[in-house]
Amino acid sequence: MPVETTLIIVLLLFSTTLIGVFVARPGITVTRGGKIMAFLVLFLLPILCGAMGISSELERSKTTKFCLSCHIMEPYGQSLRVDDPSYLAAAHFQNHRVPADSACYTCHTNYAMFGSVKAKMAGLRHIYIYYLTTPPAPESIRLHEPYNNRECLHCHLGARSFEEGAVHNADPNLLPGVKANKLSCISSGCHEVAHNVAKLNKVKMWKGQP
Amino acid sequence: MEGATVKLSENALERRLQISGILLILGLLTESLCLFWARPLSFLAFISVGGVLLLLGIAVYLFSLLTIRHPRQ
Repeated sequence: MPVETTLIIVLLLFSTTLIGVFVARPGITVTRGGKIMAFLVLFLLPILCGAMGISSELERSKTTKFCLSCHIMEPYGQSLRVDDPSYLAAAHFQNHRVPADSACYTCHTNYAMFGSVKAKMAGLRHIYIYYLTTPPAPESIRLHEPYNNRECLHCHLGARSFEEGAVHNADPNLLPGVKANKLSCISSGCHEVAHNVAKLNKVKMWKGQP
Repeated sequence: MEGATVKLSENALERRLQISGILLILGLLTESLCLFWARPLSFLAFISVGGVLLLLGIAVYLFSLLTIRHPRQ
């Protein structure tokens, strides 16, 4: 468990103890000092605890481990270890083009305004589908909407390998089309193999650590 | 508490403070438990159960301040 999480748990338990004093001895609020303490313990401290807890939970919900904790996502986790550079997700994960501990979030969040909120709402939908409906087989999972190039361009826009790459510049209409999201980065003939979980049993796996 | 069960006060303000405290304790304990697991369900429980209990506890505390005057004053 990360140190920050441990510290937050300690703070939560400390706050619980202080609140317990007021529950057991509510009469101490008669004095002026008691009132001030009650305000700190019953109002400010819970807000602080809640805010720190939510912040911690939101950060943890970005981790690769969190995303792969659902059984249905396991093949997608395995696809990050495919020993084939044409597998887009694996190449990004293994070469640290995305942080290994938040690989899923880095590519699948929404980099527009309020994108993180939208990503969390999509996550709630995933929980609903996973627990309250019959989830599809891993290989049948599809994105809710077409993958937006904005997520790729968040990192690649302006990078020399992207802007000056020979393939990207072979057709003068290609880069403008990609930047305008009219031509998908993962369209056929380009970076079309992202996870390809249906064929995982036919590919070689990388044994190293990212 | 001293090993005995907590008895709700007969004074209205103190009783509401106790209810507020109990809600807050339940919320904080729920949130503490949820932090032990980095899983989607614990995230959901943190927000929906822990968060709601905390908000209720704070609301009861504020409501008691606004509506009841301390009789010992």
